[in-house]
Amino acid sequence: MAQSTLKGIPRALRGALDKVALWSRINSPWLVHFNSGSCNGCDIEILATLAPRYDLERFGVKLQGSPRHADVLICTGPVTRLARERLLRTYEQMPVPKFVVAVGSCSITGGAFHGCYNIVGDIGDVIPVDVYVPGCPPRPEAIIDGVVQLLTKLKGGAPAKAPEADARLGGGS
Amino acid sequence: MSVVLALVALVLFPGGLFVIFGSLAFEYADRKLVARFQNRVGPRWFQPLADLVKLLVKEEIVPVGVNRGLFNGLPLAALAASLTAALYVPMAGIAPAWGFRGDLVVTVYLLMMMTLCIGLAGANTQDRFSLIGSTRALTQLFSYEAPFLLALLGPSIAAGTWRISEVNGYAREHIWMIVTQPLGFLVALIGLMGKLELPPFDAPEAETEIVSGALTEYSGRGLAFFHLGRDVELLVGLTLISAFYLGGLGNPLHFILKTLVLLFVTAGLQSLFARLRIDQTVGLWWRAGAVLALVQLLLLIVLKILGVRL
Repeated sequence: MAQSTLKGIPRALRGALDKVALWSRINSPWLVHFNSGSCNGCDIEILATLAPRYDLERFGVKLQGSPRHADVLICTGPVTRLARERLLRTYEQMPVPKFVVAVGSCSITGGAFHGCYNIVGDIGDVIPVDVYVPGCPPRPEAIIDGVVQLLTKLKGGAPAKAPEADARLGGGS
Repeated sequence: MSVVLALVALVLFPGGLFVIFGSLAFEYADRKLVARFQNRVGPRWFQPLADLVKLLVKEEIVPVGVNRGLFNGLPLAALAASLTAALYVPMAGIAPAWGFRGDLVVTVYLLMMMTLCIGLAGANTQDRFSLIGSTRALTQLFSYEAPFLLALLGPSIAAGTWRISEVNGYAREHIWMIVTQPLGFLVALIGLMGKLELPPFDAPEAETEIVSGALTEYSGRGLAFFHLGRDVELLVGLTLISAFYLGGLGNPLHFILKTLVLLFVTAGLQSLFARLRIDQTVGLWWRAGAVLALVQLLLLIVLKILGVRL
């Protein structure tokens, strides 16, 4: 995290720099979108959220193609056996600090796919999730509310602790 | 005393801080204009600054299989080249900080460094998207660079000098060169859009096809430097074109207004056109751009030999 880059700087200055870093993080969350087995309903709603009508660029949100550029992983659907490794790899390719927003009922419990033979579980079973957005599918307003909740959580103090991800895939590189 | 002046020129104006904040402001104006053209609200005024700071404090991942020195050095070289170019052009309509015979050629080379660094950065990583992106960036470089240089040569041939400051002086005393050399102006402005990989020339970073092109593997600081370098290049390029074609040096307010009008035009073109395929880009530049610039140049030379004053 940012602390490691601030070695050798006086404590008072370090606090101010941390504040600036937090401000920039809150004001510029870049998204990367991942579908781990959803029926595409939530994905359409996410795209509607990013389209001109709701225009999330007002809050500095930008959709990025590469997980390396993104701060927030916004994922939909239950996790299928095939998607599990890809979801993990996408998550690990993101540089810290990184956050996860799970959109839709399936991402919370498995939803309509709960108990299917090809389902590993919900998103929270595979990667740590910061904010859940319920709904089948949630309206764009609900997704915006989810992102806003994530940002208020950031403002309030320490973000949700990211546990060590699956060591099998190797860290980040 | 001259040391102090040199330091001020490097750190405050026209180099350094002025260029960095000016280019962030230009990025904001560009994004806001495109957003308004697309019927959106658009970003807040501090958005480019927040993006920059966020990227600077983010973790930097060095992927497996890259040359570490190049991976870290290329963004720095790109940013340094565009910042250096700012010293040779008349920022905000005030005479350039430095100049020598032939500084126009050096400035064009410095502006080219950015694309070259992006291409090398993409080729340095093992990622397939980066490789395709860097191939496209370099292909595009070969297509727009010659017409862009020819278009900037027009004013310098009319003025009979290779010094940017003398071309500016000439431009101020004669009618605007956008009137006498409209073809060159068109090629220069669109060439700048190609240089900056703005739509419709954004095939090298087409995120619907190749994630984000040559910069796919860059995360924290490297990405921030590349983004900042591109913003600086936008500012420097628009300043250069408006100093050459829109009446040279003058009142800083007028000059910045002229530059903003150019930005308005490029933002409009960005939202009007869809992305060109890479072969269409190359075809456009060599079939139309280069020919237009050459016709302009030939006309200029013939008129100059005949002794017509422009």
